Amino acid sequence: MSLIPRDRRLRDLAILLGMALVLTAAFYAFPDNLAFATRVIIMMIFVLSLDFVLGVAGVSTLGHSALFGAGAYAAGLCAAHGWNEPLLGVVAGAAAAAFVALLSGLFLMRTRGLTLLMLTIAVTEVLGELANKFSDITGGADGLDIVMGPILGVFKFDFRGQVGYVYAACMLLLVFAFLRILIASPFGLAARGIKESPARMRAIGAPVYWRLVAIYTLGGALAGIAGALSAQSTSLVSPAVFDFQLSANALIMLILGGAGRLYGALFGTLVFMSVHEVAASVDPFNWLFIIGALLLAVVYVAPAGLLSLPDLVKRQLRFSR
Amino acid sequence: MKKHFLGLCAALALAGASGAEADTIKVGIVAPFSGPFAIYGKQFKEGLEVFVKDYGTKAGAHDVEFVYKDSTGPNPDVSKQVTQELLIKDGVKYLGGYVFTPNALAVAPLITQSQTPTVIFNAATSVITKKSPFFVRTSFTLPQNSGPMADWAIANGIKTVVTAVTDYGPGVDAEKTFIKEFEAKGGKIVDKIRMPIKTTDFAPFMQRIKSDAPNALFVFIPAGPTAFSFTKSYSDNGLKAAGIQFLGTGDVDDETTLQALGDAAIGIKTAYPYSAAHKSALNDKLIAELAALHPDSKANFATVDAYDGAYVLYKMIAAAGTDGDAAIKAAKGLKWESARGPVSIDANNRSITENIYIREVAKNAKGELENKEIFTFKDVPDLGQAK
Repeated sequence: MSLIPRDRRLRDLAILLGMALVLTAAFYAFPDNLAFATRVIIMMIFVLSLDFVLGVAGVSTLGHSALFGAGAYAAGLCAAHGWNEPLLGVVAGAAAAAFVALLSGLFLMRTRGLTLLMLTIAVTEVLGELANKFSDITGGADGLDIVMGPILGVFKFDFRGQVGYVYAACMLLLVFAFLRILIASPFGLAARGIKESPARMRAIGAPVYWRLVAIYTLGGALAGIAGALSAQSTSLVSPAVFDFQLSANALIMLILGGAGRLYGALFGTLVFMSVHEVAASVDPFNWLFIIGALLLAVVYVAPAGLLSLPDLVKRQLRFSR
Repeated sequence: MKKHFLGLCAALALAGASGAEADTIKVGIVAPFSGPFAIYGKQFKEGLEVFVKDYGTKAGAHDVEFVYKDSTGPNPDVSKQVTQELLIKDGVKYLGGYVFTPNALAVAPLITQSQTPTVIFNAATSVITKKSPFFVRTSFTLPQNSGPMADWAIANGIKTVVTAVTDYGPGVDAEKTFIKEFEAKGGKIVDKIRMPIKTTDFAPFMQRIKSDAPNALFVFIPAGPTAFSFTKSYSDNGLKAAGIQFLGTGDVDDETTLQALGDAAIGIKTAYPYSAAHKSALNDKLIAELAALHPDSKANFATVDAYDGAYVLYKMIAAAGTDGDAAIKAAKGLKWESARGPVSIDANNRSITENIYIREVAKNAKGELENKEIFTFKDVPDLGQAK
């Protein structure tokens, strides 16, 4: 903590408090939509982890669902074999996803650009196929249905999803705080440096490859947490967690909000999923059009994401003066 | 605080159980209405519309209203979320739909807790109805189709078979049931092929089957474009000319894709509970009504599953109102005449018992392809739960 200047620490605390307030307000404002809100929060954690890997460190990946899925299956298998305390499942999910990220990262981080993109997709496909093949263990295409125990042996998941929501919200705050600290640390600076110019980082003596492996592993652990939470709140894991669409959607949400900023990840996820939800309930048959129009509009008007809109407006005003 | 909402939940559950008179009972329909599987949602919706035209909007003393929710694809997260919202926000007392097994399994704990009778219109894994006492199924299960196909093959002098199935849960189930039944009756399996889900080029498999030279080929591929290209490559690669018969489940040639298969499909034999070419007054009526509502649509298994699903829902609502337990009791053993033939809900496993027809693709009087029923296995239960 001493790495962060005092005033910044205060600001971070204020931000976290603000987020906690918003999450609490949402809890009371939308008592009937907690299942949806929980899914948004879990997705936020996932997109945050993608933001760290892609937005901050510049590792282009379309295979982030590999890590989400690893976390989901680890948590699912834990619960299926008797360890159904949710926090334990989250730890297992984070560990398993970090392990997968480390293993694949040792190989993936030697490549860049298009090659990297293709290989990340390939890793996801391989894992998805494994989940399908080993159906004795994973339940295959039918999925692995699990029964979650109470959190810390006290808080039971309830029908309306209140406990699930609070649980996921706490996780989001933890992950967000962790990332704020991480990004402000020398390690985070190195990550940003690598994104700006790997060559220059190498020139000043930074072990770029190992940094990238570490970044990918850390990002993997966070994605694993999201996966584990998803498995626990659905009480089922199916090979859909390795779906390419999941990686692609996360990327869209990140770009929508603005990559490289943590708020961008939160905001993009919230906007994308809310529009999706509202559109799909207004017109369950043609809502995809609305999503498409939204994306086109944002990419056209604010290519750096919704969070860049205020700056954009400011600049426009200055020009017109 | 915690006690407080436990109380609230209990109150809600009670509110569900007691119910008021002369009310509207909402039925949530969860199915894919967007994306690559939207055809299921469309067929369901049309089936329900035809049903409402026949039976009106009243079940007994209650008005019935359908609420549609999009479950996108095989996506248990979304399925569970929309179901939860239907139960909490929209206050539905009955559920229907569910195309994919994981989507159905994910809602099992919810419907058990809220005691909501749920009629599965499609999801075909045997085990689902065991996961909650509130599941009822009006579609079929995989063993229900592939078992009879094996019996028919034996009875018609087919001695050697190569199985080719899509390599995922349902495919493996179909393969296992077929082989078990076929070998038990003295048939010989020459080769077992499992094809990856995303295969689009089937030529290598066809070469392998051709060199195995069996009497017939048994296929399970989920309905859709891959089933189409498999069937096409069966004739393109000369298997048909080599005299290898094509046996399968009706998923490969359901009515929505049948015409596109072209003449190459003639002679294909499949086992399924419903063919649009079924000869009965009820079926003719259903097809005529669908044509009146949606001239471009074709009735297929999903249409009839939804129609019959609605029949069960109406019977339950009329008999029990909002009492979930009583509704399930009313559904058990329910017998009626469907457009697909005589059907009943098995009192033990709550899955449908129905005739399984062996059909052969042939040209009808109008020159269109149809699944012509050539043999009937009467009253086949869900064979998967017998073991």
